[in-house]
Amino acid sequence: MYQDRTLLQEAETAEPNWIVSIDNVTFTYPGAEAPVLNGVSLQIKRGDFVAVIGGNGSGKSTLCKTLNGLIPHYYVGDFEGSVRVNGLQTLEHDVARLSRYVGYVYQDFENQLIRPTVLDDASFAPLNYGFEDYRARGLRALHLVDLTVDPKEFIWQLSGGQKHQLALAGAISLDPDILIIDEPVAQLDPCHAREIYDLLRSLNEQHGKTIIVIEHHTEFIAEYCRQVVLMDQGRAVWSKPVEEALLELEQLRSSHIYPPQVTQAAAEIAKARERNSAGMDVSWPSLGRANLGLPHHAPYPITLDEGAAYFQRLQQLEPQEESGGGIGITADFDADADAGITQANTDDNTDTNPIIEAKHVRFSYRTVSRERKMVLRDVSVTFRTGDLVALVGNNGAGKSSFMRLITGVTKPESGRIVVKGMDTAATTPEQLANTVTYIYQNPEEMFIEDSIRKDVEFFLKARRVEGYKEKVDAILESFGLTELQHRDGRLLSGGQQRRASLAIGVAMNPSVILLDEPTANLDIATRKDITRLLLQLNRHVETVIVATHDMQLVAEWANRIIVMHQGDIIRDGTRESVFGDAGLLEQAGLRAPQILELSRRLGMTPLSYTVDEFAQRWNESRKEAAGHGVCS
Amino acid sequence: MAQLKQRYVLTQSQKMMVFILSMSLYGLSNMITELIPSIRLGPIELSVEYFAFIPLTLCILFHPFYAAVGAALGEVIFGEIMLGQFGGLGELEKFIGFSLAMFIAGTLVNDPRNRRQVGVAAMMGVIIHQFISCAVDIGKVWIGVEEFEAVPGLAQSVVVVEGVAFLNDVLFSGILFALLPTLYLVPRLYGKIEPLLGMKPRNNKMKYSLGEIMAPRLIVVSVILAVLAALAEFLAESDMALVEWDADFLESIGSWFIWVSIGAAAAVACLTIWLLVRRGKRSGTAGTGI
Amino acid sequence: MEYVRKLMDRVSVEGVKIELLNTAYGNGNTFLAKLDPRTLFLWYLYFGIAPWFIHSEVLLLGMFLLLVVTTMMSRVSPLIIGILCLGLLSQAGYLFIVSWLFGGGGETILPLLKLTMKLSVISMASITVFCSMDPEKLSDGLLRIGVPKQVSFGIAYGYRMLPSLVEEYHHIFLSFRLRGVAPRRHGLLYWRSIVYFLKIAVLSFYPLILSIAKRTRTTVEALEAKGFSYAYHSPEAKRIKLSYMKFTARDAVFLLGSGLYVVLLHVLAAQISI
Repeated sequence: MYQDRTLLQEAETAEPNWIVSIDNVTFTYPGAEAPVLNGVSLQIKRGDFVAVIGGNGSGKSTLCKTLNGLIPHYYVGDFEGSVRVNGLQTLEHDVARLSRYVGYVYQDFENQLIRPTVLDDASFAPLNYGFEDYRARGLRALHLVDLTVDPKEFIWQLSGGQKHQLALAGAISLDPDILIIDEPVAQLDPCHAREIYDLLRSLNEQHGKTIIVIEHHTEFIAEYCRQVVLMDQGRAVWSKPVEEALLELEQLRSSHIYPPQVTQAAAEIAKARERNSAGMDVSWPSLGRANLGLPHHAPYPITLDEGAAYFQRLQQLEPQEESGGGIGITADFDADADAGITQANTDDNTDTNPIIEAKHVRFSYRTVSRERKMVLRDVSVTFRTGDLVALVGNNGAGKSSFMRLITGVTKPESGRIVVKGMDTAATTPEQLANTVTYIYQNPEEMFIEDSIRKDVEFFLKARRVEGYKEKVDAILESFGLTELQHRDGRLLSGGQQRRASLAIGVAMNPSVILLDEPTANLDIATRKDITRLLLQLNRHVETVIVATHDMQLVAEWANRIIVMHQGDIIRDGTRESVFGDAGLLEQAGLRAPQILELSRRLGMTPLSYTVDEFAQRWNESRKEAAGHGVCS
Repeated sequence: MAQLKQRYVLTQSQKMMVFILSMSLYGLSNMITELIPSIRLGPIELSVEYFAFIPLTLCILFHPFYAAVGAALGEVIFGEIMLGQFGGLGELEKFIGFSLAMFIAGTLVNDPRNRRQVGVAAMMGVIIHQFISCAVDIGKVWIGVEEFEAVPGLAQSVVVVEGVAFLNDVLFSGILFALLPTLYLVPRLYGKIEPLLGMKPRNNKMKYSLGEIMAPRLIVVSVILAVLAALAEFLAESDMALVEWDADFLESIGSWFIWVSIGAAAAVACLTIWLLVRRGKRSGTAGTGI
Repeated sequence: MEYVRKLMDRVSVEGVKIELLNTAYGNGNTFLAKLDPRTLFLWYLYFGIAPWFIHSEVLLLGMFLLLVVTTMMSRVSPLIIGILCLGLLSQAGYLFIVSWLFGGGGETILPLLKLTMKLSVISMASITVFCSMDPEKLSDGLLRIGVPKQVSFGIAYGYRMLPSLVEEYHHIFLSFRLRGVAPRRHGLLYWRSIVYFLKIAVLSFYPLILSIAKRTRTTVEALEAKGFSYAYHSPEAKRIKLSYMKFTARDAVFLLGSGLYVVLLHVLAAQISI
């Protein structure tokens, strides 16, 4: 890995072949006050794999839209400066011409699929540009992105991952030199995201395409990208090779970007060491930055493999207490970990009344082929006060259907669900809403009014609750929405929307909150913010159930994890029982957080679930080792 | 640079956006109204004919031509073709009548913030559309039945049946599903939806120039559409002159009925608008509950 | 309530998909479905318009019989034909009753029956033709006879987006229900509940309009990048797309056969009326 990077950097010193060259570009959208791009200058090398990172509103997407000419030809705002793509001045060539060289996959890629069937969509661009062999080109593109479905299949029959592949096929059907992908990970579950990145890598390495991704998942950047561009306030702050870029910890933090967990862990441990033994250790990262040009001296690891090697070397450099092969497993720490996970209620725990009781629930729906698709086979489960449940499993495992059954919007085919004594089959959703709140995956579907405040008070107002105004004020305050209360939810940023949707849910004063993918589509910083809010939720409610793909959230938040697979519950237990079981993770298509994977590779028992926990345990074991060293 | 000069004109892509927006929304609403059952009390049918407020709102907020044509096409595609109910030439008449009515309604509004204008436009849109479709229905019977006038009672009954339907649609669908929702939606969407499409809201400054462009075009387009509508339905039957039809229609059948119904509808609509505007002014805010 | 549940079931995404598929793939293998769209348009041009101007009972009856046959050939269920004719008859019956008030009588029946027959012929002609074409064929056919490209784009777009649009509407509708209060009593003839649901059905469009506006922006950008407007100025794309259309012997047989039948009918009608 290090070797490869050295070679690449040497190649860079040769005369560069810029495929994109942006010179001092400023752009203001029509009707907008401030410019989105503010004097950007940037060069991109032919055949590179570039990640564009930056906070919300830093101009990442706008920058990419200057490359295929949508700006300035399509958005007729104020445009200054020059953009050359593949030697063409974008001002002099229209979108149609530039699109032959630049393919674009949007974040909301579903909306860029415009034809009804698969091949039809993939060959739409070649047809419009008048290629006689448009079908062959479409088929070739489908083949390139490895989409193996019936070419005549309707697009709405595809899964989310397949739709993304198709959008990619549409983008490369004209065989462009540059491919731009806007946040591939945001809309996909982690397994599909990885597949897409593998695909991009092969397009980059085998077909010589220049790939530009807008991305804030640094773990993917570290693994797949070679160059990173940081955008801030409409400017490109720098463009650096990935192994340098991800170590600019201060700058990343100020742009709300979190480095990979292994990097965070290494940095945190190094910081602690710095505090403890100031200046004693010459080989340590405090001085590392001076050595940045030499990757094999790079201070912190950025990928899991590097991380494992780094910490193993660290272990050798300063031997730690050898107890049972693992590191730093003290009995009292074990107890701490258990205390952190509070008492997860199991079914034999009958001293509290169940909040939700599902018995032999079966659910299916009619499909296009007129068969019934089984969604839930025979699900029996009980939830009690204090449960913070994470419902995990790959797409189609039945998570969302199960939550909808609890809201009473759909009714079970057989079996029954009782929520606080009410049988859902005999209760209207309106009545159940007094007890159960369902928060949609897409917050926009919860905004039914024209301001956040009206949305939050809708429920209380409809029920003519006394003094609802004060209550709404308090909720808005606690979710940090007071400033935004008169804005329309749809016009807010992703994180603000999510906060607002939580506030709407809490305002309904429920006993049970159900959340569908509360952290999907968010950058890591906002994700942390939402996780924090979720941790506070149990102050308001008795039971929280979250359906999610976000294993970091699961590891940090839940006290009970239910793994679903093909309509059945295959595990119901603590995080140890789930994340400790590699076979189970494999079967359910889950991927543990990087830090957890790292602690597994290092042989830690029990596993560490968060960066802080990892660092703390590492440091403690080191202290002990040092203590032992002094004694002996 | 050419593109900088065109900044305030609707670009090709913006037209396309308005068109697609209108088509998908009204098409969807059409599928929904198809599924809502109707209550029939004799000749009075309490049915949700259509959600006319959608094209009306869009025609008022955006370029009325593209919104109107988009909506009419949406109805044909989503409501007919996709459900396997495409009716061939019959659709042409619906298409033209509907888009013409919505277009005229949209051009009646200069300032989307003026509630009175919006209300009048919404009612006019429905009245024009219902009038056209009633006229076409009467025309169908008239053409379809040989020696129409000679059949006793037929002419009167056709007019009565159509007139009642007209009145019913204008009063029921017109007020509940055009006037009230349009008055609710337009102020809420104005200034909010345009930036989502990357364009500027229609404003008072643009009104003048828009009026200048629209007036002659409105006349031309309406004349063409009217002629086409007539052609589509009447298709030049050799032994009947259109002039005769007019005279016949007015004298023998008694035009009073139609005009009385239009008058009644207009009166009720004006009353409603007046009440709403008054209430809106009194409360001082833009909130009008439905 | 029960009704609403059933209705929402039909408005469900899967329900809509099924409905769409049935139309799209319903009648792909009939004789009529294999004809060139232009043939069908030509045929429709006669049978969809001519009946308006035909007043001979014999001719109308003959055409009616032919169309019953062709409608059956397009594998439309006889039930649909029955419902259609019944609907038209009841409409005529309605007119007949009202005409009584204005001094009409027995002699009004015959013209009304004839009118019904005409309308049936015209409706069956459109069923025959348009149910035999899947939407793609219809849109290509329309494109071929010079209907603006936006129409054929619209049809394709409808097939692509409708399930997503319905799903989104459904979600918003549920949002209203999950936070609102349903009327406690249904009221006379359920009017309270009806008003409640209709109000939600209308109000749900406010969020929907905004979210579809967001979608539309991406779609139109993608259209631009995929050369939709580029193809507008070059006839090449249209030619390539429609190059598969061909008149075959089948088309000739169909048109000639129908023509011959109509000519024979005219001869017959002339003889009978003499």
